[in-house]
Amino acid sequence: MNAPVLQAAAVHKHYRIGKQEIPVLRGIDLSVQPGESVALLGASGAGKSTLLHVLGLLDPPTTGEVRYDGVPVHGLPIGERARLRHRHVGFVFQFYHLIPELTALQNVLLARMMAVSALGYWGQRKAAKAAAIAMLEQVGLGARLHHRPSELSGGERQRVAIARALLAEPRVILADEPTGNLDSHTAAGVVELMFGIQRDRGLALVLVTHDERLAQRCHRIVRLADGVVVS
Amino acid sequence: MYRLFLAIRYLLTRPINLLGMAGITLSVWALIVVVSLFSGFLAVVERHVHEAGADIVVSALPAWTRWSTLAPALADDPNVAATAPRLLHYGLLLRPGHRPPPAPLPGRGALHGGDQPFLFLMGIDAAQEAQVTGFAAWVRDAEIPAELRAADVAAPLAMRDGVPTVLIGLERMQREGLRPGDAVLLTTARLVEDEAGQKHPSKVQVPLRVAGAYKTAHSGFDGNNVFVDIAVLRQHLHDNRTEFVQEVAVRAHDATTLADTADRLQRALTRVTERNNTSYGVVQTWREKNAQFLGSVQHQRGLLKIVLVVIMVVAAFLMLATLSMMVTEKISDIGILTAMGGTPTGVTMVFLACGLVITFVGVLVGTVTGIVTAVYLEEVRQAVRWATGIDLFPVDVYNLARVPCTIDPLWLLQVAGMAMATGFVVSALPVLRAARHDPLVSLRGI
Repeated sequence: MNAPVLQAAAVHKHYRIGKQEIPVLRGIDLSVQPGESVALLGASGAGKSTLLHVLGLLDPPTTGEVRYDGVPVHGLPIGERARLRHRHVGFVFQFYHLIPELTALQNVLLARMMAVSALGYWGQRKAAKAAAIAMLEQVGLGARLHHRPSELSGGERQRVAIARALLAEPRVILADEPTGNLDSHTAAGVVELMFGIQRDRGLALVLVTHDERLAQRCHRIVRLADGVVVS
Repeated sequence: MYRLFLAIRYLLTRPINLLGMAGITLSVWALIVVVSLFSGFLAVVERHVHEAGADIVVSALPAWTRWSTLAPALADDPNVAATAPRLLHYGLLLRPGHRPPPAPLPGRGALHGGDQPFLFLMGIDAAQEAQVTGFAAWVRDAEIPAELRAADVAAPLAMRDGVPTVLIGLERMQREGLRPGDAVLLTTARLVEDEAGQKHPSKVQVPLRVAGAYKTAHSGFDGNNVFVDIAVLRQHLHDNRTEFVQEVAVRAHDATTLADTADRLQRALTRVTERNNTSYGVVQTWREKNAQFLGSVQHQRGLLKIVLVVIMVVAAFLMLATLSMMVTEKISDIGILTAMGGTPTGVTMVFLACGLVITFVGVLVGTVTGIVTAVYLEEVRQAVRWATGIDLFPVDVYNLARVPCTIDPLWLLQVAGMAMATGFVVSALPVLRAARHDPLVSLRGI
């Protein structure tokens, strides 16, 4: 059997506020296989988003290990962690986090610009643009390439965010309540799109949600309560 | 790549950043134009001062100096082309029966001269003087009207009706309504020794005739100096001692090595004038002789630079304000850019890039427009005068044909470097604030 594409081993995360130490994650163990979708379900404050940030190398665990393809990654230098984050994971957030000054196409292209120099990008700009357009067409926004986020609906913005997350061809999608800000009809469309791409590309998906019905669509549900996996 | 791309997008969508850019442009433009103008003015003044004198002047000679001994000693130097003796005195030059006008307020006359009654009397040998200075050209200057020109420009200080003559600056001639042949009375003084051996000043009056006008490019010189034949001053003030000399003007073959030549001449002078192990006399290049005057113009240029740098400081504060506003507005982008693969510190460099782009464009535009304006300053002056009637730089006051301008490449580099350094510092301050921002705060939507 292959090593899990993403693994958390005995992960603890504490935040210090003044002299008080607040435990948020308490010994989380989690393994995600390639092509597997995992839902992190739990009430607010259960530690779902914090776990997602720890898994995505945005926040270091207080103790414990995060491994990508079986290799511990949190001990790596900050620049190496950033490169790994760019190559290995794609984030989709509840509030989209698109850059308002950029068009849909530019927002997606930004993912390609992150890891290369100006000169390096110049050599691959045509290929990068073609890939970004193809990605936006795949999420159904072929006609909205040059629209800015303020000119797009919530669902369309989330599609742009999904296209941006996928352009760097990551192996894992980390989605933090991706439908939390959408109406049910739009949310259904975004969910279909996300699961469709995940299935077609064989990506691992870690989905943070409050929604039991959405969680049921994943291969596995991990329930968190007070920073502990309860089932 | 993303830093430059985002920086440019941020700037293009926020026209307020043009204010900072305009400030940098203005300060760079002003520093280039004004300093180039002043440098040009200084160069012209130096040229005028040099043209109104000799390359090297030997002065403060002791009373026992003999021209027949000194002249060969100086001429021995390989860089000396010619020498000319001079006598120097002060005096009043008035028409017989006229009283001198009241002295003007202190401080005037330094540049233009000619508005105070006391004059420097320069006793020269016209033929020898013409070998060391532009004297021959001064009496032939095209601006001198025919009726004010010396009768014989080849021998302008020749006697007139048996009376010695005096050459007067053109402006003074015109202002006082003098004409060649007019009688004037030179009033000066000499020290005489009484029976007890005490020295007292004694008035000396010498009737002269106006020979004509002369004109150099240095109006300050023209207004304050008159020329008479050296023999006249020797006769009336130095008991007809034909060897007596107070100053020697020297023309050099190579004007680029005047300092070295002056050093050699100083040693030669010491050999001639030394008594009791004490050396006498001073050798100065034209630049050393006029160091105070030229230094004052340079000092004014330095003060102007300081004043103009204030514009850059104001531009820097403007830039700091607009960049700080932008960082406050865009700090939330740090979270998503970090999630996409940037390091938190690297992402904050987007804001540094914004500041550097503003500065670079400002410096580039300011430098180009500054150089173009400086080169076409005369045309700009004429255009402004044609459009508004205002003369920004009245060239005739300074005896110039056009607005002077000297663009110094080193100064351009200094201005650009100073502006870039200022822009870097001003950009770094908001970046430091952004660097302290936790990217997770933005991602949580707090």
